[in-house]
Amino acid sequence: MDSFTAITLAVFLPFILAGILPAVEKLLKDKIGWYASAVAFLSLLLVAQAAPEIIHGGTIQKSIEWIPSLGINFSFYVDGLSVMFGFIVSGIGVIIMSYSNGYMSKKEDLPRYYQQLLFFMGSMLGMVFSANTIQLFIFWELTSITSFMLIGYWRNRPMSVYGATKSLLITATGGLFMLAGFLVLHAITGTFDIPTIMHSESIKEILHGHDLFLAALILIFIGAASKSAQGPFYIWLPNAMEAPTPVSAFLHSATMVKAGIYLIARIHPIFSGTEAWFILVSGIGIFTMLLAGFLAFRQTDIKGILAYSTISQLAYLMTMYGYTTHHEPGIGVAAATFHLLNHATFKACLFLVAGIVAHETATRDITKMGGLRKEMPITFIVAVIGALSMAGIPPLNGFLSKEMFYESSVEMGHLLGGPWSILIPALAVLGGVFTFAYSIKLIDGIFLGKRPSKGLPDHIHDPSMIMLAPAIFLAGLIILFGLVPSIPVHYFVGPTVSGILLEETHLHVKLWHGITTPLIMTIVTFALGILTYTQYSKIADWQDRFNARFPWISVNYYYDATVENAKNITSKFSNRMQPGPVKNYVVALLLLFIAMFAIPVILLASSLVPHNLNFDVPLYESIIFLFMIVSALGAALLPRYIPAIISLSGLGYLVALLFIYLQAPDLALTQVLVETLSTIIFLLAIVKIPQKFREHVPSTTLVRDLLISVTIAAIIFIMLINATPGIVPPFESLSHYFVEKSLSLAGGHNIVNVIIVDFRGYDTLGEISVLCLAAFGVYNLINSRGDDE
Amino acid sequence: MTTLITKTITKICLPLVILFSISLLLAGHNNPGGGFIGGVLFASVIALTYVAYGLDYIKSFFDPDWGNWFGFGLLLASVTAFGAIAFSHNFFRSAVEFVHLPFFGEIELVSAGLFDIGVYFVVIGGLLSIFKNVGDDK
Repeated sequence: MDSFTAITLAVFLPFILAGILPAVEKLLKDKIGWYASAVAFLSLLLVAQAAPEIIHGGTIQKSIEWIPSLGINFSFYVDGLSVMFGFIVSGIGVIIMSYSNGYMSKKEDLPRYYQQLLFFMGSMLGMVFSANTIQLFIFWELTSITSFMLIGYWRNRPMSVYGATKSLLITATGGLFMLAGFLVLHAITGTFDIPTIMHSESIKEILHGHDLFLAALILIFIGAASKSAQGPFYIWLPNAMEAPTPVSAFLHSATMVKAGIYLIARIHPIFSGTEAWFILVSGIGIFTMLLAGFLAFRQTDIKGILAYSTISQLAYLMTMYGYTTHHEPGIGVAAATFHLLNHATFKACLFLVAGIVAHETATRDITKMGGLRKEMPITFIVAVIGALSMAGIPPLNGFLSKEMFYESSVEMGHLLGGPWSILIPALAVLGGVFTFAYSIKLIDGIFLGKRPSKGLPDHIHDPSMIMLAPAIFLAGLIILFGLVPSIPVHYFVGPTVSGILLEETHLHVKLWHGITTPLIMTIVTFALGILTYTQYSKIADWQDRFNARFPWISVNYYYDATVENAKNITSKFSNRMQPGPVKNYVVALLLLFIAMFAIPVILLASSLVPHNLNFDVPLYESIIFLFMIVSALGAALLPRYIPAIISLSGLGYLVALLFIYLQAPDLALTQVLVETLSTIIFLLAIVKIPQKFREHVPSTTLVRDLLISVTIAAIIFIMLINATPGIVPPFESLSHYFVEKSLSLAGGHNIVNVIIVDFRGYDTLGEISVLCLAAFGVYNLINSRGDDE
Repeated sequence: MTTLITKTITKICLPLVILFSISLLLAGHNNPGGGFIGGVLFASVIALTYVAYGLDYIKSFFDPDWGNWFGFGLLLASVTAFGAIAFSHNFFRSAVEFVHLPFFGEIELVSAGLFDIGVYFVVIGGLLSIFKNVGDDK
């Protein structure tokens, strides 16, 4: 199998296999999670299939024409960056779906859960391998939607719904900004293909000198920042913790929130090497790193601490990818890429531990915990490994990448010179201090100290291996990557960095460098970290007091106010627009119709009267017309329901007769059948309608309705009489084309049918989709009506 | 509505109409007919049965989830449309094949026919699920 096929399958198999998951569930029952893990494993193998070529410095790109007229292709680009993300997404996917078998209760709606997880995984894989910006955008929004569904997995909990809505509003809107950015990029460069822009120096030169450069960068960056919870957009991530913990571990720490980082890394070769890139990406990164690290102190929910820590760690990555100068575009790229990989391991590990702890103690409140090390020794060891790696303690992998972070910060500061050479490393250390403090808090708060006398279940123990093994595996990776960094560096980081910097790079990461500036910074970090930790609760209390006193100094305050206002305005608007009775809507609709046609009719009044009208109607037709008039009058005037309905359907059948006479059998058939069906529906509905037909209608209403009907009839008459004589001059009749081509191109004799299923097949697909949506709509309308009352 | 005459006529018509609807569906490419008309016919006769015998009575022994029908139809139609891509053709490209079978003689197989079958199922499923939902509403 060639790599392109492998990647295509890796992306689409999760969708297809998730599609048949409900059927498989009938066989496997509550073991369905293993099926999902197997699918994820299959994707992992397929990604691995493409890996060997990449490790040796190659890239693969292949496209299939999709919308050639717009230059949009269906295209995959496989390089170090996308393969590393592919491994993280599918690998963590296997771990999470296996773990879910232990975490999710058998009573939950498992098919929905695993189906959405697989949909998410497929979207994420599709996103990282997309070469085309439009395709990337589609998969990007798909991850937002699946994330929305997974956060709101517990549909009946208000906080889940709140968190889900918030994440969707922020990330999907950010995605739209990103799309706008891509369109600007297209306007500048003339292509949607990322590798084309990436590899062409001349295009990049045009781009860097273009007036719209900044606009494109800022728009795309807003997309990345909203997805990765950076800057003011961070507020959705803490609320996303309402999702089941495996989901938080998968989407909201290891993969989906890294989509923004991925995007930054992907466009790095295009935009970096400019001041704007450094100021925007590193600036927002450093700001978020400090803010989120600081705000983590206040959290009492263990997942809340992890959420803020994730925001802060993502900001590290942003900061590092943002380090750039004209001569050295990618100072922090190696460090960022390595840290990205390490963060995926230790943060997923910590989330799994959080899930285990919450599962066993039935609470996530860290203030109610303590002293669990004796009861959960294995969990304790795993948690210590994860948290110490996050804190940057040697010899774990977090230490290595944090050293690299400090190193690149020093270098960036040095290159900028002046006060920056002190300020940037100092801010980096401050971020490290916060990280150190809350990492220790996690261990201390949950496992050390004394067990609280009440609030915890009596018997707490390590969970089954189903939940423990994935966490142990990740902890093993943390140690392995720390002790033998050459493995991840050779297989993942090196190819990725080459992919971003577009040149061969040889990285060497060692545990011991000797006494260097970064090592001194690390020691300072530990010392300050311990000092900060002694003041932990004081800082948290101060934050609480500050928040209570100035509630308006928070992004959430403005988000809530905006959403609340929007809700009020829209409900006022819809109440005014939709007061209730259907009759009003019909009248409004018809009046609009009249208004729209009144203008052209009045303007063209003189030319609308045909010169040579042919009043020579054959006898047969005139008899049909006579009957039609009679039945129309019957439908309008008959005093009781059933005769009126029969009269109406009689009119319809007469129209069908006319079609037959005019040699249009398909139309006639359709007319007869639709008429029959609507008569049956009328008959069904008649039982439910109150039986006071045509009573108490005031004469003013009658006059109004009559006026409207007559006007509409007149308009239709004018339209028809102008349409019948022939085709309006500048246009040609289309029917010749269909008559000629229907047999030769589509192999059918029935032109009407060939038009429906072949020439205009796309329209038909749209129409049947609308029919399905209408059926869903009716179902929901009827079944949701009870909820409000 | 539930007179003996209606019931008897419905009972006799039901199988004939269903057969006719299938024949309309299959004949569609070359003669009057097609997925839409066939589907409407099928839906009408089932709807007539619901009306004649009462929804609750019919549901006691015959109660398919029409939602599955239109789901299947939409899937089939989309797969036909996207299927062309799998064979490296443009989206919606149709294919014609003539097959010679014993007894039936020359048979024309059209990929658009598969699409038409999708339309057929969507029309049946969509109309009847609306019908049933509205009819079920108390």
